[in-house]
Amino acid sequence: MSAAQLTYLFEPPNWEWVITGNNFTFVLEGFLVNLQLAVIGIVLSLIFGLVLALLRISKLRLLSFPAGIWVDVWRNLPLIFIILYLALAVPSSWRQAYADAIPDFLPDALQNELVLGALLGLILYNSAVLCEIMRSGILSLDRGQHDAAAALGLTYRQQMRFVILPQGLRRMVPATVSQLITVNKDTTLVSIIAIQEVVRHGSSLTSAGFFGGVQAPILQVFIMIGAFFVVVNLSLSRLSRRLEIRERRRTGTTLKRVKGLEDQVAAETDLTRP
Amino acid sequence: MSDLWGVLTEHLPEFSSGFFVTFRLVAIAFVIAMVVGTLIAALRVAPLRWLNLVGATYVEIFRNIPLLVLLFIAFAGLRRAGIPISPWVAGTASLGLYTAAYIAEALRSGVFSVGSGQIDAALSLGLTYPKALRRIVLPQAFRSVIPALGSLIIAMIKNSAIVGASLLALPDLLKEARQVQSQTFETNEVFFWAAVGYMLLTVSATLIFRYLESRFEIKR
Repeated sequence: MSAAQLTYLFEPPNWEWVITGNNFTFVLEGFLVNLQLAVIGIVLSLIFGLVLALLRISKLRLLSFPAGIWVDVWRNLPLIFIILYLALAVPSSWRQAYADAIPDFLPDALQNELVLGALLGLILYNSAVLCEIMRSGILSLDRGQHDAAAALGLTYRQQMRFVILPQGLRRMVPATVSQLITVNKDTTLVSIIAIQEVVRHGSSLTSAGFFGGVQAPILQVFIMIGAFFVVVNLSLSRLSRRLEIRERRRTGTTLKRVKGLEDQVAAETDLTRP
Repeated sequence: MSDLWGVLTEHLPEFSSGFFVTFRLVAIAFVIAMVVGTLIAALRVAPLRWLNLVGATYVEIFRNIPLLVLLFIAFAGLRRAGIPISPWVAGTASLGLYTAAYIAEALRSGVFSVGSGQIDAALSLGLTYPKALRRIVLPQAFRSVIPALGSLIIAMIKNSAIVGASLLALPDLLKEARQVQSQTFETNEVFFWAAVGYMLLTVSATLIFRYLESRFEIKR
């Protein structure tokens, strides 16, 4: 990068768009849509992930085998692939039903019927990932826990509900927080199927007609959007690390990491920070 | 279902060209990620505080920013700034630099797993710091991070689809699949074969790294 380009980056006129009109709030509003999508996505994924995890650890192969295939397929596909597929494959009657059923108090961005495909995609992918995270939490428990619960005369359901899940799910909290970082970043992908969030808002700022008839400089706009993500995700990774250290100290076990996910690797390596 | 084979045989040229574009994208980005990642890891473990800071800043920025936003900055942003960057350069560089942050972290934690006695011994033998890092510490660190690298390359294969779907419009597997879909409207069949293509890549990466893991396992 030459000096000319560096001055381009920092020239005050190129940052004027930030204080012009309500550009800044416009970008921020878009970012809030991303955060909402991430939170809704992860909450629903947790619910479906728990169902999948229970199926996967079931002793009935009739349940565990198909659940295993389902999980391995969805978590090994690119999320954007899933979202684009659903955008084409979800029948319009479903989308219509979604648009009719969604309550009004939820944010405008979610009222769009296209959001259904995006949400389903986020849930299909992340419930598969969270299923694996939960499974590794449950499998990290000592076998004795199962045996002791069984010896006390608890049924399988009671063992799960009172002994295994409360301990196993607690151990998955740090890994879930780091997955939230991924989900946060992944919510930008829904801009590709035309949902109004931060990337779309940023793009429209940089198109002619905004910024008082002048285009906002795209480089600066997206650097700012990137900064939003860095701030939020940095806090999440710190939180995840703190939780993980506490959990490790308490239980004295290390969880097996789910493979093929960048932020799970990062969470693991964060722990070796000097 | 009867159309499943028909879709593949009829559009094999599109599918295979998309597959190889994805493959090339991943391969080039992986080289970039390894080179830059190693460099950043070296900065992070260097004995100079300000170098650590540079490395840490790189890692925290590139791993917390969405890849799509990075692509906007690297392609549209730099073009507007007067740097004529091609979609291929922007795509491979973004994917590579994004993954490099994770690789740097994996290597750094690998370096710390080597144990400080190793570097002390190397330094006392008269090796310079860079040399001790290159000849003694990094080879051992690389071994212990093979599983993490495998995970990261699988994540990178999945992330490569973002490059094709974004404003760069590289004709990768996903892009070609969408193209075929828009001609044939055989959504399920087309995406099935594209999914097989991605699975082929992720599964072979898994197998390669499983082999490497057993091959270079540190026996203690």
